[in-house]
Amino acid sequence: MVTIVLGWLSAIAVATGMILALLIAPRELTQGNVQRIMYVHVPSVWVAYLAFTVVFAASIVYLAKRAPGADRLAHASAEVGVVFTGITIVTGAIWGKPTWGTWWTWDARLTSVAILFVMYVGYLLVRAMIDEPERGARYAAVLGIVAALDIPLVHFSVYWWRTLHQPPSVIKPGPATMPGVILLALLLNFAAFTLLYAYFVTKRVSLLRADADAAA
Amino acid sequence: MSFARRTWAIVWKDVLVERRSKETVNAVLFFSVLLLFIFEFTLGADRERLAAVLPGLLWLGVLLAGLLGLGRSFVLERENDCWEALLLTPGDKGAVYVGKLCGNLLLMALVEVVMVTLFTLLMNVEVGRALPGLVLVLALGTLGIAAIGTLFGAMTAHVRARELLFPVLLLPVLVPVLLATVKATEALLLGEPLAAVAHWLKLLGAADVIYVATGLLVFDAVLEG
Amino acid sequence: MPDHWGFVAAAYAVAAVALGGYWRRLVRLERDLEAPRLRAVGSRRRAAPRS
Repeated sequence: MVTIVLGWLSAIAVATGMILALLIAPRELTQGNVQRIMYVHVPSVWVAYLAFTVVFAASIVYLAKRAPGADRLAHASAEVGVVFTGITIVTGAIWGKPTWGTWWTWDARLTSVAILFVMYVGYLLVRAMIDEPERGARYAAVLGIVAALDIPLVHFSVYWWRTLHQPPSVIKPGPATMPGVILLALLLNFAAFTLLYAYFVTKRVSLLRADADAAA
Repeated sequence: MSFARRTWAIVWKDVLVERRSKETVNAVLFFSVLLLFIFEFTLGADRERLAAVLPGLLWLGVLLAGLLGLGRSFVLERENDCWEALLLTPGDKGAVYVGKLCGNLLLMALVEVVMVTLFTLLMNVEVGRALPGLVLVLALGTLGIAAIGTLFGAMTAHVRARELLFPVLLLPVLVPVLLATVKATEALLLGEPLAAVAHWLKLLGAADVIYVATGLLVFDAVLEG
Repeated sequence: MPDHWGFVAAAYAVAAVALGGYWRRLVRLERDLEAPRLRAVGSRRRAAPRS
């Protein structure tokens, strides 16, 4: 089955990615080995945005067609997206402590991702707190659309809040130009995390379908 | 019945109900005045610090009042079995959305007039030349808050833990509006020209368009059943 | 700049725990879905009258 293949593929990809990230990629000049956290932090945020884009698309399809498959996809993608968003925030904080000196700064990226996290936890709450499944699906779809449309607004507002009239006092994590091996390691981890996302979502969707069939 | 007439019917109904019961208006106004007192008690000792956080306090007050008022905007229909009546509104349910939105805007405008007046009087704020810009920021920001608030209000009307879920859904989505309004208000009160806050105004305008358009498009789906 | 391998380990551990935890949740959900179904199949067979 597709799920099992995806599972093994992603496991192999993640393992390879970790080897590259921890052992093969070179030690970064200014930050030292702490910079290796990037190989987890950045692919995670990429997958989070991918996940929420899928939620957006599936939500639109659900409201237009009322296809239960679209609803299941949105639900699964939101769950996995929240997991990766959480990883992004925590790894970002862990990276920040030795680099900037504090666990949390209201840096533009971390703040945006934190707002993202709260919005989609709200999405999952809507599903959990509404008893009628059909109504829950509809309302979650509305929220999935609103939250996604809000993402660019969040980005601009937080970025302007942080950078305008304020001297840049925070070193942005990650190298400015990326030498080959670092870029390769990063790209591989992008791919690995994306495969992992696909595996999780596929499995979750099939579980939701089985759950719906059992209840019927 | 045309869109405009249906919209007006909803607005008029809500205004009439509110005028008779004065439930929501009184509660929200009183709450806002109370907030002012609390701001003064907690921050009033240091006048300079108070002046610095004033824009934030003003919008905090607007937001909290909005949470109260907007969360309740559909509770009346729900409690009195009028929900089905809303569902039976002929044609596009967008008229219900706009009608409710207008009613909510009126409520919030009233609260804001009171709050800004009291702020300037009680806290000795120099508004003067900044007033037209301030009104614009208030208008754009309030429209954004009310647009999402009306939509989410309809969605949470049927949920058991409405008082919990409504703010949890509303606040993260409104962060851009909050940031933009506070920053713009801050700049304007410091004497900056309107051009200096143009980017914030554009963001608010974009947010308003996105929110209202989305509300109009999805409200049919929200009002079902 | 010192290497802070502890932080690197912490970050990778957090990711591993979160992803592993979610995977365990999926596995547990799958198990819960299979179990009652098997039980239901068994009881249906017992309940159906043998003619």
